[in-house]
Amino acid sequence: MPVEAPSAEKLLDMYARMWRIRLFEEQAEYQSSQGKVMGALHTYIGEEGVAVPACAHLQDTDYITSTHRGHGHCIAKGADISRMMAELFGRSTGYCKGKGGSMHIADFQVGMLGANGIVAGGFGIATGAGLAAQLRGSGQVAVCFFGDGAANRGPFHENINIGAVWKLPVVYVCENNQFAQWTPQKDVTLVTDIANMSPAYGIPGVQVDGMDPLAVYEAAGEAIARARRGEGPTLLECKTYRFHGHNFGDPQQYRTREEIAEWSDNRDPIKQLAAHMRDAGILSDEQDADIQNTVQEEITAAVRFAESSPYPTPDELYKDVYSYDIG
Amino acid sequence: MFADRYDPLQDEMVSILTPDGCCDETLRPDLDDEQIRTMYRQMLTMRLYDRKAVSMQRQGRFGTYAQMEGQEACMAASTYPLEPRDWIVSSYRETGAMWMHGVPLKLLSLYWMGNEFGSHMPDGVNVLPVSIPVGSHPLHAVGLAYAGKYRQDGSVAVTYFGDGATSEGDVHEAMNLAGVYEAPCVFFCQNNQYAISVPVREQTASPTIAQKALAYGFPGVLVDGNDIMAVYAVMQEAVERARRGGGPSLIEAYTYRLGAHTTADDPTKYRDDAEVEFWRSRDPLLRVQKYLHARGAWSEDWEHELLEACTGEVEQAMNDAEAVPQPPPQDMFRYMFAEPSAALREQEAALLAALQVQQKG
Ligand SMILES: Cc1ncc(C[n+]2csc(CCOP(=O)(O)OP(=O)(O)O)c2C)c(N)n1
Ligand SMILES: Cc1ncc(C[n+]2csc(CCOP(=O)(O)OP(=O)(O)O)c2C)c(N)n1
Repeated sequence: MPVEAPSAEKLLDMYARMWRIRLFEEQAEYQSSQGKVMGALHTYIGEEGVAVPACAHLQDTDYITSTHRGHGHCIAKGADISRMMAELFGRSTGYCKGKGGSMHIADFQVGMLGANGIVAGGFGIATGAGLAAQLRGSGQVAVCFFGDGAANRGPFHENINIGAVWKLPVVYVCENNQFAQWTPQKDVTLVTDIANMSPAYGIPGVQVDGMDPLAVYEAAGEAIARARRGEGPTLLECKTYRFHGHNFGDPQQYRTREEIAEWSDNRDPIKQLAAHMRDAGILSDEQDADIQNTVQEEITAAVRFAESSPYPTPDELYKDVYSYDIG
Repeated sequence: MFADRYDPLQDEMVSILTPDGCCDETLRPDLDDEQIRTMYRQMLTMRLYDRKAVSMQRQGRFGTYAQMEGQEACMAASTYPLEPRDWIVSSYRETGAMWMHGVPLKLLSLYWMGNEFGSHMPDGVNVLPVSIPVGSHPLHAVGLAYAGKYRQDGSVAVTYFGDGATSEGDVHEAMNLAGVYEAPCVFFCQNNQYAISVPVREQTASPTIAQKALAYGFPGVLVDGNDIMAVYAVMQEAVERARRGGGPSLIEAYTYRLGAHTTADDPTKYRDDAEVEFWRSRDPLLRVQKYLHARGAWSEDWEHELLEACTGEVEQAMNDAEAVPQPPPQDMFRYMFAEPSAALREQEAALLAALQVQQKG
């Protein structure tokens, strides 16, 4: 079943979301350099063309799970950037009341089941969400985002296996940015194409250029529709690249400037989508500037919100650890 | 090369000796009648050991025992191409394979009697103790294989596990590591079609287990696990490949467990008699018997001789094991740590005190 091409409205929305991720991350890095951000920061810059077009097929009632590199997934799924920024700043208005930080942001209202500091930690959650949806017969879908490094871990295997046996409405989306921290993929697995692992689970494996948002839109749309129809999971691999370090402050001695430039100058997903929209007459220079300005204002407001919010008080320390109070 | 010619994605299975004992001459491995007779004898020993073990458990003389009836060809033929320097790392259903690789039946019996010394392998016998946690041990095999590669000692590690174990994350991690490190490791999966009561179709959506090797970039071959010639040929190829630095392989031996999962299981609850009867007709021993008979290398007299000799061997081993004194209860607290922890010492003291009270009472 072919996936309908995105409408002009949808494209504009996707474009704005990609900028929202990009500018949020740039701002987060800046604030981190100023000592304002608590804890590690893994940015999604360069990978916006995966989460945004994939989530464009989802409703708030659908689920996603994320990784340590989670801001992009949050924003793509519609989380509030002010509460995200406040969380990074460790303020009580943040998603985890300032006690979780970047790698624990979750927003159940929009179906974002959580970033995850544990590599491959999202598989079980997404698969469980898929099982719940199947048992309810609700037609909801879960999308599990994970990195190439996570594919070498047991939870990848166990969950995709059982997801396939039970034909759960889950799409497993690998963001193959070719590195797990500082380790190139070829050092840790013989199979460089994660999509080719799908025969082990008897499900379709699809590979797509993760820098091409329209290609991802189509491939993800097909996989999500398939899941919604009750035909089970798909393993969707998006070849992508993170333009910045693994985390903020990574000296990146494992790759060359030329390699980074090759991707960021020539294959930037935001530029690619902009070019397409201009060609299609959907995006004028004026609109483009408008979108970027609006997003920039949102980010500035988010920083203001974060900065003006209080830190959690010490008596908050034991709250929200368990469902009951241990204080 | 079987690995090149048999595509698991096409459900192609290596088969040489048919259930009626006919051999595909084009694929016949380099096994002469004398070798086949030896393997027959070994399989018969396993069968007799297995039956006797169940009866020992029923008499309270063995603990819970995992049966291997129906899977003898997998164990006899897969261990046949191994050298003493090679390693075997297995689960609980490979008593026969461990024995083939040099673990005396007496020790194996000690193990099933619950004596820790049953896992104390004789020097020079490269077999790790039985691993009960499903799917945990292939990682150990990869470690041994990698050590062999590092030391350049030419050894190969073979790990045995069931179809159920393939769903374990550890098995995935083991195969991935073996692949990228080109570890001389052979993953031997005995697909006996059940993980206790779970049929393999509910275990994985992948049509074969052999094709899971594609996810790791090394060959996977599906073989008739009730056919000693095919298992031998495929295994020999995989072992040679590993030994000359060609990396790991996955072998799926398609077989059937004729008995219960263990002596604590009732298989009639989850499978019907007709299915078991069908697989009885594909008994791995029967087809070797037919094959040898057709070649004038089997007779009833020889069979009787074998039965008597192998039964004697099995009974002797079990009697020898029973003659070993029971370990003292304090043994429970030993062997876990070089230095027992405070908690363990406390528990040991409590146990001894309780035993003393019991003796006095
Ligand atoms: C279980 C676990 N092991 C190790 C780490 C440390 N760690 C954090 S990110 C990372 C690399 C993950 O790589 P990948 O899955 O490819 O995601 P990417 O960072 O490339 O987006 C590692 C090893 C961790 N967080 N969790
Ligand atoms: C990690 C773990 N989970 C569960 C069990 C309980 N258990 C014992 S055997 C078994 C089934 C294993 O099936 P399979 O791997 O196909 O091997 P088979 O018993 O058929 O030889 C299970 C679930 C266990 N021993 N270890």
